[in-house]
Amino acid sequence: MGLQIKNLHKSYEELLLFSNFNLDIAEGEITCILGPSGGGKTTLLNIIAGLVEPSGGNLVGFNDKVLSYIFQDTRLLPWKTVQENIEFVLRNSYSQTQRQTIANRFIKLVELTGFASYYPSQLSGGMRQRVAIARAFAYPSDLILMDEPLKGLDVKLKMSLLRSFSRIWQTDKRTVIFVTHDVDEALMLGHNIVVFNQTPIEVVAYKTITDSLFSRDLSAPKYTEIKSELLKVLNH
Amino acid sequence: MRISISRTKWISIAAVAFMLLLWKVLAAHFDSDFILPHPEDTLVKTLSLFGESQFLLVVGATILRGLLGFAISLVFGVSLGIAAGISNDFNAFLKPILVVLRSTPVIAIILLALIWLNANSVPIFIAILTMFPFICTNTIDGIRSVDKSLVEMAQVYRIGKLRIVREVYIPAIMPFIISGASSAMGIGWRAIIIGEVLSQPRYGIGTVMHSAQTFLNVDAVIAWTIIAVLLSYIFERIIRLTEKRIVVWRG
Repeated sequence: MGLQIKNLHKSYEELLLFSNFNLDIAEGEITCILGPSGGGKTTLLNIIAGLVEPSGGNLVGFNDKVLSYIFQDTRLLPWKTVQENIEFVLRNSYSQTQRQTIANRFIKLVELTGFASYYPSQLSGGMRQRVAIARAFAYPSDLILMDEPLKGLDVKLKMSLLRSFSRIWQTDKRTVIFVTHDVDEALMLGHNIVVFNQTPIEVVAYKTITDSLFSRDLSAPKYTEIKSELLKVLNH
Repeated sequence: MRISISRTKWISIAAVAFMLLLWKVLAAHFDSDFILPHPEDTLVKTLSLFGESQFLLVVGATILRGLLGFAISLVFGVSLGIAAGISNDFNAFLKPILVVLRSTPVIAIILLALIWLNANSVPIFIAILTMFPFICTNTIDGIRSVDKSLVEMAQVYRIGKLRIVREVYIPAIMPFIISGASSAMGIGWRAIIIGEVLSQPRYGIGTVMHSAQTFLNVDAVIAWTIIAVLLSYIFERIIRLTEKRIVVWRG
């Protein structure tokens, strides 16, 4: 069992992104994918989400999985309020009262109580991303895909979002694939950290961290060591 | 609520005052009611029109034609626009028709309509042919500009096609439809009044303007013009208010 990407093949015109690419994804854990930008990490997520057709290969175990996707550009509907944006994805699965309860619970979890009736245009970038996180977790999915959701936010905001994310994940341990280019984010959240190289993509490093998400001190020697190791592979 | 009038508003008020002043100067220069009556006399004339027994019939007939033409244009413009926005083939079919409609002089359409139709329907027909292309073109642009990434998001969250149309496409094109409706209305009233002047239906602002002109009642021609401008302005305000209520989500 488990989730496996087998012999994946994908190219865009001249550019060969994946050729005989293999990767196992551990269920119920967070897998972080690090790699150079423009290197096909987003394409991998889009293939998993069914938004992009691979040219060859198999996705084993993904078929019966329900997905949430946290996009880099949030993709909230501008004409719906925070509450309505979250309820928008719940209509197929829950009654109206259930939808309200669930949306309220997640609005509270991402610390946006009081903003339920705000439109995205009235929120800051960090708040919008928190709504997107709430939407992804409110949706009854088995697998959550995240495509650099923290890119472009300042460090303080990043840390607060990472904490919200860890807190929600702790209450509901779903499989997460988290694409990022930031090693610290990967060290904060990843149970498994995968490093990609330039195209055609191969896995050039694979680290497993068993510590709980809340006991991680990135300044501890253990983490600085892993960090320098990952950076070395990344910059190679 | 802001009560103070902003600087630009004052400048706009000054522009109106300037036009009135120019009018007054020219009226004083010609000093003839048959060429250019004085603004204050015209204002009195305009106000007296409201008291005329047939005022409501005349204005009502024009408004009714306008609304009927607008409603028909809206229904066809939006539905054909959505179809053309989605299907490239249908767009290729519709495009030349829209180009021809937009570039044909209104007077040419009126002359033909006068031959084909009765006096009451000519202005409506003209209104439809002038308003429809605006609404249709804007709807097509609206559909084209719908953010595909939002549609992708909805697909990932397994939202059905019907709900994607209702909750993603329609709200996204609303601002386009409203701005199309606004330009359509602006040009529509003018087209209707030209149509009425030439087809002479029993009631209509164009009809009374034409008879006033025949009898050299210049003050009445201008007075009815002012009423036509007011009418156009009122409907523009209505559309803008509708926009504010529908597009509340814009920051």
